[in-house]
Amino acid sequence: MNENLIDLTDLGLSEEELFTHVENSAADAEKITAPRYSYWRSVLRVFFRKKINTVILLILAFLVVFSFVYPIFSGYDATANVIVEGGKNLNPSDAMDKYGHNIHWILGSGPAGESVFDKLWSGSRISLALAFVCAIINMTIGVVIGAVWGFSKKFDIIMTEVYNIVGNVPYILLISVIVMILTASFWSMVFALTLTGWLGIAYFIRTQVIIIRDREYNLASRCLGTSTMRIAIKNILPFMVSVIVTLAATEIPSYISYEAFLSYIGLQMSDMSLGKIIERASASMFTPGRELQFWAPVAVASVITVVLYVVGQNLGDASDPRTHM
Amino acid sequence: MTKYLLKRIVLGLLSVVVVVAIVMILIFTFTDREKIFNGDGIYTKMSNNDREMYKYSQWEKYGYLDYVQYTDYLMALAKSGEITEETRADAAKIARKVDGNSGVVAEYVAKFKEHYEAQGYKVLYLDAKMLTPTKLALGGKQQYFAYKDTPIINRMFSFFGRLVNIDNIHYVEDDIEDRGLTFTLYDPVYNTEDGTGEVVEKKFSPAIMGNGTRHKYLLYFDSRFPYIHQNLVTIRLGTSYSVNRNVDVFDTMVQTQGAYVQSTMTYPTGLTESSADDLHTATYSSAGTHLSTPILSDRFTDDYTNVSPYRQNKSRLGYSFVIGVIASILAYCVGLPIGILMARKKDKLLDKIGTFYIIFIIACPSLAYIFMVQALGRAAGLPHYFDLMKETPLMYILPIVSLAMPSIANLMKWLRRYMIDQMNSDYVKFARSGGLTEGEIFRKHIFKNAAIPIIHGIPGSILSSLVGAIITEKIYYVPGVGNMLTNAIALYDNAVIVGLTLFYALISITAIILGDILMSIVDPRISFSSKAR
Repeated sequence: MNENLIDLTDLGLSEEELFTHVENSAADAEKITAPRYSYWRSVLRVFFRKKINTVILLILAFLVVFSFVYPIFSGYDATANVIVEGGKNLNPSDAMDKYGHNIHWILGSGPAGESVFDKLWSGSRISLALAFVCAIINMTIGVVIGAVWGFSKKFDIIMTEVYNIVGNVPYILLISVIVMILTASFWSMVFALTLTGWLGIAYFIRTQVIIIRDREYNLASRCLGTSTMRIAIKNILPFMVSVIVTLAATEIPSYISYEAFLSYIGLQMSDMSLGKIIERASASMFTPGRELQFWAPVAVASVITVVLYVVGQNLGDASDPRTHM
Repeated sequence: MTKYLLKRIVLGLLSVVVVVAIVMILIFTFTDREKIFNGDGIYTKMSNNDREMYKYSQWEKYGYLDYVQYTDYLMALAKSGEITEETRADAAKIARKVDGNSGVVAEYVAKFKEHYEAQGYKVLYLDAKMLTPTKLALGGKQQYFAYKDTPIINRMFSFFGRLVNIDNIHYVEDDIEDRGLTFTLYDPVYNTEDGTGEVVEKKFSPAIMGNGTRHKYLLYFDSRFPYIHQNLVTIRLGTSYSVNRNVDVFDTMVQTQGAYVQSTMTYPTGLTESSADDLHTATYSSAGTHLSTPILSDRFTDDYTNVSPYRQNKSRLGYSFVIGVIASILAYCVGLPIGILMARKKDKLLDKIGTFYIIFIIACPSLAYIFMVQALGRAAGLPHYFDLMKETPLMYILPIVSLAMPSIANLMKWLRRYMIDQMNSDYVKFARSGGLTEGEIFRKHIFKNAAIPIIHGIPGSILSSLVGAIITEKIYYVPGVGNMLTNAIALYDNAVIVGLTLFYALISITAIILGDILMSIVDPRISFSSKAR
């Protein structure tokens, strides 16, 4: 008798515990034993693996808080004109001497005697809000239509022609006609930017869907009788998440840039956005003592767009399941 | 290939027509037509009924509507012999109020109304505006007319119909002698004898001249780029209302700008003086003008007296094109080598610096970095804006750099991507196992394949310089074509908007087709013929 074998009677277990007949379960046989995998948890894990991302996210949080929370308390009024003798267009040190040493005056005062710092954050709030609203609308419409565009061959023929034609209508023209018809308010700007803005996104998504649609594993899945809806949701959507996030990363900053561009050529909203501040202050670009009025909004616009872009790109990388290993 | 290309061109032109239709609908039906008068000085000076009449006459001129005045209707009736001259004169005396007419006037007023309402016109009677019960207000005379809005489809036909004009000897409607074209080997502009005005054979310079045509010189040579010029075919994109009043959009783009350049020249009569007139641009004015105006009869021997002056600076299109083309060349010269290096030294320092640059340019608003370039250039002592009076080559540097920066980033990004994608392909591994050096593999194998999509964009980047750069031109005060569209929009100059849209659409379609052709020439694997290889 082999000494390594255990005598079952020593374990002191009942007959039922030792030997039980296990039924053949079809459901259990299908289960795959693997470590627990949560997609979004893995995305976060990969995202924070890079130390730089934490830093950039902190900068972004700082910018968002300043843009959305600070204006509530700053009491900045875009239409106000401060009547204090010699209180306009001051450089930071003069402004602080004049109005007191607090955070409002660290960038000096503007042409209406207002605080440049307060104006700056109120402007970036409007610009950011515009960018987020436009991005949400355009991305939603663009992704849905792009997915259908990629799947349906009939729709493809029509939409490609529409894309070719609308692509040739000058964008500035479309926006200015809308601004002309409606008033130049925040929401008419949103309408102008989203009227055809989704088309480019839809075209991009369509190309991606076509690439993934005809991959071998989808052909195999179709051969096995999977419905189109299930293929779309289970097989294609996970691949698209990283594409969509990466696209959003370029879209959001691009609206801020585009709004600045439109403001500079004269198609402004009635609200004081970053672009409008830059345009209004462009004369003081090289004026001694007033440079900050111009360069501060330019710098904030650049930092906001670059940070948003980098966060989005890295989040896009992290949301690609192939990086989760 | 030819069949495919023809199909592409026809489809392209079709989509251009659709684009123009969309834009026409957008601006002619959705925008307020009163707005075109916003910047019009004549309109502001007029008042009451005169202003209304001026509005309708301008709307007719710019194709909004068809408008007939009561007096013109009577004139036409008199001309056709339906009514006598006396009846016409009587019927023309309309009363101050519409119901104040009687007798023959009332009869023709009713006839006019009936005649035009039957054709779908709207008939309007503007009662006199009185200052006092007996005295008319300024411009308050009573008016009677009919108008009908022109449908978009008719506007489209007339727009495309006018697009290309070929000068012919029946252009001049006046009664003139010797209509026809003459070919001369000795251009009179260079060969007119001082004092006598006789043409002698001094300087050889062939030219084709016309009589009865709009332009006197149809084909000629001069010392300005591109040395041979023609006036036979002119392109009409639409007459400007407010941007450059009464001048065609295309002319606005190609006319030289700036101060006059004077030189000693001999007019056809033999008068020699210092002048900026370019006699080659002479167009027909109207019968007998040169005889009735002494200043013209001293200089000209025929009625081709409308001449434009020589100016010292380039045209709008010239500036945009020069800056755009040099910027494209610079972008390819800088972007391609750096892109290749980034791919070769993947994940090394150079690649990281390059990636940072790409992110900065893509994410940052273009306004921001153009301003930064301007500030840096100013600090370095470069001229930071365009001064037409003192043009130097240095003025071009900053606009060119600003314009090249995004193209460089774009080229770097895509070339790096394509090259890295190619680096893992089997043919590269095969080449390496065959013993080729890394340099050879990159130069001869990877680059050739990776450059194909890049080559597709070359015609686009060159042609798009004809469209101009809005921001760059605005920041550096470049008098180019880039700001024409925004100006036209700001001033509600609808004809200019439509003309420019057509121009832009044609350029973008040409660029795509040329890109495809170029790609199929470079890469023999790409074939556009329908037959499979």
